[in-house]
Order: sequence, then structure tokens, then C-alpha cells
Amino acid sequence: MSGLIQGPAIDVRGITRVYKAKPKDVTALAGIDLEVVPGEFFGLLGPNGAGKTTLIKILTTLLLPSAGTARIFGFDVARETKQIRRIMNMVAGGEQSGYGILEAREQLWMFSQFYGLGAREGWRRVDELIDAVGLGEQRHQRVSTLSTGQRQKMNFARGLLNDPWVFFLDEPTLGLDVSAARSVRELMISWRAAVPGRTILLTTHYMAEADELCERIAIVDRGRILAIGSPAELKRRVQRESIFRLELDRLSGGPAGLARLPGVVSAVAATDSPADPNRSARQTVVVNLVLREDSALAGVVAALDGLGAHIVALAKSEPSLEDVFVELVGRGFDDSEDTGGTDQFPIEPHEAGQPDPEEQL
Amino acid sequence: MIDRGVLRSHRFDPARASGRGTIDVLRSFRTAASLGWKMEANWTDPVLFFIYSVAKPVASALILVFMLQVIAGPAGIALRPFVIVGSALWSFVVSGVAGLAWAVLDDRERYRMLKYIYVSPSSFITILLGRGIARLAVGAMGAGITLAVGVLVLGVPFDLVAVDWPLLGIVLVLGVITISALGVVMAAVCLQTRQESWDYPEVVVGALFLVVGAVFPLSVLPVPLQVLGLISPLTWWIAGVRLALFQGGPSSIGGPGSLWQQLSGELNPTSVQVAAALLLTGAVVTLVSAVLFRAGEARAKDRGLIDRTTGS
Repeated sequence: MSGLIQGPAIDVRGITRVYKAKPKDVTALAGIDLEVVPGEFFGLLGPNGAGKTTLIKILTTLLLPSAGTARIFGFDVARETKQIRRIMNMVAGGEQSGYGILEAREQLWMFSQFYGLGAREGWRRVDELIDAVGLGEQRHQRVSTLSTGQRQKMNFARGLLNDPWVFFLDEPTLGLDVSAARSVRELMISWRAAVPGRTILLTTHYMAEADELCERIAIVDRGRILAIGSPAELKRRVQRESIFRLELDRLSGGPAGLARLPGVVSAVAATDSPADPNRSARQTVVVNLVLREDSALAGVVAALDGLGAHIVALAKSEPSLEDVFVELVGRGFDDSEDTGGTDQFPIEPHEAGQPDPEEQL
Repeated sequence: MIDRGVLRSHRFDPARASGRGTIDVLRSFRTAASLGWKMEANWTDPVLFFIYSVAKPVASALILVFMLQVIAGPAGIALRPFVIVGSALWSFVVSGVAGLAWAVLDDRERYRMLKYIYVSPSSFITILLGRGIARLAVGAMGAGITLAVGVLVLGVPFDLVAVDWPLLGIVLVLGVITISALGVVMAAVCLQTRQESWDYPEVVVGALFLVVGAVFPLSVLPVPLQVLGLISPLTWWIAGVRLALFQGGPSSIGGPGSLWQQLSGELNPTSVQVAAALLLTGAVVTLVSAVLFRAGEARAKDRGLIDRTTGS
């Protein structure tokens, strides 16, 4: 082959995968179409059993599709496996993999040889990656003595040995503690940002993780893609009004006065207490404000000024990807038929959907 | 929205998808063999590893020799070279056949690394063969020491000058290839099976033990089993090594009333006949093993078995 290839990094057309089983066959993928452009951070979001891992297995040449075609940079996953394996790599989470008897550095060097690096080049690359993933102190430790998080970092280093153009990450933070999961996410982000064109396909059932990392997300359930778009686009599908949470030092006449302003759909006093107990002590008033559109907020602010009320805090409430999933599927992730793992996203509390303090006025 | 300009401006150089052919294959084989050796030898200290590696074959050989002594009395002494060689080589066969199959099971069930090995650009079978070679080396060590014990301790007469070195070289090379081919078949089987299949290689090798003339001649077997023995390359390999090391000793293939004598009209096969038969049967087994492995790998990939761990 000569010349340069233009086109999608990942191109999936009508992929179907049926597993033979008793008493009846199981359809893991039911005609998936997907296109990921070079340089994109793309997420497959869905509950356990949605078909995400099956799709990754097909794309990484571990599994054949029952029907349809899939190409990685133009190479067919069923026929051109050697070419694909040189330009992609994969890391899976939730497993204790590794040759326990080898040192971390030895195991990585072994894989560098399987990826065709020369002996010296392999050692150099291994040492670079060990430092890059923060395993410098563990480089001579046996794999069996590494913690789960350290093993996953080593797994990432292995996945980066061949400097892949497409990096498949199958639930990479599954089973990791908060700190290790954060390290892994930072690795993903920094690796992709370092060179334009590097592509990541991430599967996860952690919605906050998909929201944080992915430029586009495909929501998958029962072998089908239900929606594709950026997190903001997907959320807009279910958000028809703008919702704000407004905390005021006082509000004479109550929220009913605000409800009569132009563009305001509703204004009701919040039933919950302010998160900050000091504010509670100051007797603030919290109002949940629903506007037809964001621009109506200016009128509300002007009206409050006229009433002598001062805004203590203002936060815009956005629907979560779970809201999108519920809208599309009619049930939540936790209601899935096959929930083998935890849905607890390993992040710090301020990351877990709570309003970022910096966004508050 | 994704900037579609990225798609237009990005260039992927397909040259990155090309490998370096034989150099990559050799590098992968060497690395896999090194990994296999570390897995075989690094689990304990060298002294314990040595004892473990040689104790079993030496003990097996001694048991057979003393049984022969009890049954045949002084006449059994003449048969010692026959039994020692067969027993020593058999431990080598077990190591070789089991090595590749256990590499599959180890990597899939214990280390959970098979999928990462599989999606690397290296040839899968090359890596398995590399892993298998390490176990063959351990088997060879056990076989060599068993032979040494036979000569030094049990008084088996051995003359270095009388050894047919060309024949020994030929049959050893062909034997390693054939044993590896059988290992490839067992690896293909273990790709399909559950983790309980650790014993499969030993079961298969144990069944072959009956018909290949390892510790008794084929002529004592019923004709159908003698036929099985004559089409097995292991029979010719063991006979070839015996012939090379102890010329003029009893043959496991021929002898009065043997099927070989009925078919060929000769009492025992010559060196050339043994080498030719080993080449022919070994080539058939090697070709069949390649086909079976390819089919087994395709089936495993189709059914999603490559990375499917079956343990608890």
C-alpha cells in the first residue's frame, strides 16, 4: 500500500454480533453504525451488558463480527489484523492481569519486543513510559507485588509502547480507588493532547467519566446505539428550559413575584436547606427558577435589584447523562438487566455532579 | 460538534502498519522463549528448581529399571539401555507437548494476558512456540540427567565413539519439531476448553505412551495398536535415538513376529528407514497441526474464546 489514507479512524457499518447460547442465541450487537474521526475522544456509554465490550473486542481483532464491517484507518478488522495491531492498542479495566513473576520493567520490555521495537529502543521506551505513568519507584518490583492501581498504570504503559494511533480503553477505571482513577484519567487526557490525531475509544458505564472526558458519546443499550453527540448536545435533547438555583439574602413577597416576570416559567422556593450551614444561619432564601431561555435571567436580576434583594449564589442546573439515558431508554442504568459491576464512579465528591464552586456567583 | 476539518487535515501514514517480517518473528520467538524460561525457572531458587526438574524423570526411570530387575532377574540388565532411553525421552515428550498447551491456559486463566499477547502484531503461534521451547529445555535437562544416571549409576554400557552422531542429530531435530507440532495441536484444543483442561496434554501423551515403544517393544501389542505405533512419529523418534546411542540393542519396532517384520520382511528397521519414517510421519503431523491450529484459532476467535477466562 502506498500513499496516505484519509478517512475515519474507526468506521463501523452494520456490525452485528450474535453469541450462540442455550436456550437461545444472544444478540450482543444489533447493527451498529459508528464513525470516529482521527483525534477524537469518543465514548461508548451504556450499562453492563449493553454491548460495549463486544464492540471493542471486534475492533481490537479479538472477536469476529457475525455481520457487517469495521475498519480502523481503512484496515478491515476481519482480514487485515496484522496492520491494525501495529497501529492500535488496548487496555481493559477491572482485572488483575500481568506476569506476576516478572518485574514491571521486564514485562513491559517483553511487550516492546512483541511490538517490534529493537532491544535498546525497547528499554528506552519502557523507561520513558514507566516514568510517564508514575511507576518509577516500582520499575524493579515484581508485578505480583503491585497494587491494582499500579498494575493499571503498567497496563497503560504497555498499551502505549507502540505509540498507537487508536487507543481502545474498556472500562479502564473499573475497580480503581479515587486516586488511581484520577491518575488514569489524567493519563488519557495528557496522552491524547500530546500529539494531534491520537484517537481514543473509551467504554464506560460511569456517566460522569464519559461526561468529563469524551468529546462525543454514543449511548448504547442492548446492542444498539440510541444516540450520538457531544455531552452538551445529548443533554440538550432532554433540556427544554433553563433551570437555575438562586440563593438570595431576602425576597420580599416571596418567589411568586418572580414567576410573573417575562420568560419565567416558574419560580418556587426550594424545599432543601442551603448546603452551607453558615448561609442557613443567615436566613437566605433559595429559589428554583425555570426560564424559557437563558436570556430571561437578565430580567430576573433587574427585578431583584428593584426589590432590594441581593444574590448570594447562582448555579445553573443541567441535566445529567443519566437523564438522557432515562429519556432514551425509559429506565435508569441501575435498572439494567445485567449489572455485574459497581456503578460507583471513583471520583472526588466535587466531581460527582455537584456544582463546581467556581461556577457559583 | 466535532471539527470535521480534523478529518480532512489529518494524515495517517500506512507505512506504520507494516512489519519487518522474519526479524519480527525471530525477535518474538526469542522474547517468548526468554519469558517461558523465566516462568519455568524463576519461581523458586535454582537448587530447588534443579531438583524439581530432574527428580521426576530420574525417579520414573529408576522405578522402571527396578521393576524390570524384579520381573526379569539378571536378564533385565541387558534391557536397561532400552528402558532408560525410552523413559528419559518420554519425560521430554511430556514437557514438549504440555508446554504449549499450558502456555495458553497460563496466559488466559492465570495471568489474564492472552488477549494482550493476541492483539500484539506478533505471530500468536510464534509466541506459543517460544514459550514451549522453554519447557522443552527443562524436559531436555531432565532427560539428559536421566541418561547420565543410567550410565553412571546403573552401569548402562555407553561408548561415545560408537554413537551414530549424524543419525542422532537428524532425529533430535526432527523430534523437537514433531513434539512441538503435537504441542501446537494441544494448544489449539486448550484454546477451546475450560481451565480444567490442564490435564489434557498428559492424558493424550499418556495414551500415546502405550503405543510408541517407550518402555516395551511394539511386538507385544495387538496388531491394531502396532499400526497406531507405526504411524506415530514418536515411535520412530524414540527408535532413532536408541539406534543412534546404542547400536545393536533391541528395537522397539521390529523383532520376531512384529508387524514391522511382517510388512517389510526384515527383522529390524535400519537407520535410514527410521530417519525416513520419522521425516514422513513427522511432516504429516506438523502439517496437520498447522491446519488444526489455524482452524482452532479461527473457531476461538469466532466464538469469543480468546480472552474468555473460565476460572472462578
